[in-house]
Amino acid sequence: MRDDGWQVGTPEGLITVSDALAAALFAQPGSDVPMTSRHDLPIAAGIGLRSPHLAHVQAERPPVAWFEVHSENYFADGGPALAAIDRVRADYPLALHGVGLSLGSTDPLDRAHLDKLATLIARVEPALVSEHLCWSGVAGLHFNDLLPLPFTGEALAHVSSRIAEVQDYLGRQIAVENVSAYVAFDDSTMPEWEFVAAVVRRTGCKLLLDVNNVYVNAVNHGFDADGYLAAMPREAIAEIHLAGFDPTGPCLIDTHGARVAPEVWALYRRTIARIGPRPTLIEWDIDIPEFSVLEAEAAMAAAILADRDAVAA
Amino acid sequence: MPSLRELQSRFAAAVLAADGTAPALALANARSGAERIGIYRRTIRTNYRNALGATYPVVRRVVGAPFFAAAVDAYVEAHPSRCGDLNVYGATFGQFLGAYEPASRLAYLPDVARLEWAIDEANRAADSLISPDDVLRELAAVPPERLPGLRMRVHPSCRLLASPFPVLRIWQVNQRDHAGDLAVDFATTPDRLRIRREPNGVVLDRIDAGMFAWLAALAGSATLALAIERAQDEDTAFDLGAALHRCIGDGTITGTLDVSLTGMSSSAD
Repeated sequence: MRDDGWQVGTPEGLITVSDALAAALFAQPGSDVPMTSRHDLPIAAGIGLRSPHLAHVQAERPPVAWFEVHSENYFADGGPALAAIDRVRADYPLALHGVGLSLGSTDPLDRAHLDKLATLIARVEPALVSEHLCWSGVAGLHFNDLLPLPFTGEALAHVSSRIAEVQDYLGRQIAVENVSAYVAFDDSTMPEWEFVAAVVRRTGCKLLLDVNNVYVNAVNHGFDADGYLAAMPREAIAEIHLAGFDPTGPCLIDTHGARVAPEVWALYRRTIARIGPRPTLIEWDIDIPEFSVLEAEAAMAAAILADRDAVAA
Repeated sequence: MPSLRELQSRFAAAVLAADGTAPALALANARSGAERIGIYRRTIRTNYRNALGATYPVVRRVVGAPFFAAAVDAYVEAHPSRCGDLNVYGATFGQFLGAYEPASRLAYLPDVARLEWAIDEANRAADSLISPDDVLRELAAVPPERLPGLRMRVHPSCRLLASPFPVLRIWQVNQRDHAGDLAVDFATTPDRLRIRREPNGVVLDRIDAGMFAWLAALAGSATLALAIERAQDEDTAFDLGAALHRCIGDGTITGTLDVSLTGMSSSAD
């Protein structure tokens, strides 16, 4: 099956895309050097860059294919953080990952927040801009956390219109990321994978597929992770996230504070085998380790991406 | 089925409720609903503790992590975040600490927090690319009779903080790389601090009462004449030439605000 083509859900229905087409779309031409165009992320393993490692990256310029930063950390008007990200941007492809836009909230979209994002986009010209398929606050309050949406027709229509609004405002496609969840709402009328696929279909946005979040939710809510991943619109997947969870709580908790779990590596390997290689990011946000630990995690992802390349060739 | 708005309101109420409260939400995880909502409550709490801990490291160090965590929890409850950018949350933490009963014995703590917020703001403020020579040229072009009515542009990062406590010393001895004497002399004169960012980072220095009043007036868009008056109220020996020389030279004053000088009309005239 892998050599023949893949079934992919699209707005037109189920179609088949050959690996050759996928290769043309996603592989870099004639070289094993990652692309460094400001318009695309390299199809390679990147690292989520957090402030403890900014100085190291600027000084040592470690061989990392690309970096991603949290957009809000660079909403400043000036100063050292912005100067640092300018220097990182000069040396590496960069993706902006927002954590505070609250796409799914029923409060009005925060225009001031969006303006700051637009200013940052104009400044660093990122290869990709992403946000989360979630909400963060209501009635003026903000919890500064990624809260789950119910998978209903109303929520689908609402979050889709908000994504469209953001894309119109920014004048570019954004990628939205599936989030981890510790509760499931009785009111949901469709499974999460249908909801995510429908958002992509309705808005034409890209998908930032967090394989760890799929695994966490599969365990927490009792569904088949591979089935979820098979339902993702392959051609819309612009980036993959990997991170570590905490297994010691009442359910799996998506802490971004550990190495990627073996089960998630296995799921990632099967995902890459199914959809082809994608820019893949290692995220680590609490108890941030030495940079070399992140490099080792990125090397694991790179090995899986290269393995898939070898299979394809 | 509740509307999305209603569901989000109920979820918010559940997160804000006390630990162990059963959420008013229809959850597939019904039996463990309170526990599952508790995960969000704890994550959110931890996020704010970490965020404010990054902004207020000296306050955290002075009171210790458990006390700081409790103070942040109380602050978040009294002044919840209303912004998706966590980096700008916590501006009023110093003011809050002033009325936070458990910290009442640490009378200096609110001003230490104010200093840390000023440093945080200075770090995020806009850059200024104007050189002292440019500022001097701009001033030299002002006709002498216009000088009293002139308004000055102060560097966007400049903050001023007055305190009856030796907050700069407290801040210094609580820096990770501080070596040597840890003693703080509370019998010193009040601190009048100028906080601003230079190309290599935020700089803190003590300034005298005259310059403090003068800069505070200028930062509030007072005319040069009024600012001098304010300075002389504090210090009859205030030396305008020395103040201008120092503040232009170190980049604190970055030009004039008098738009009429550039040929535009100004209601301030």
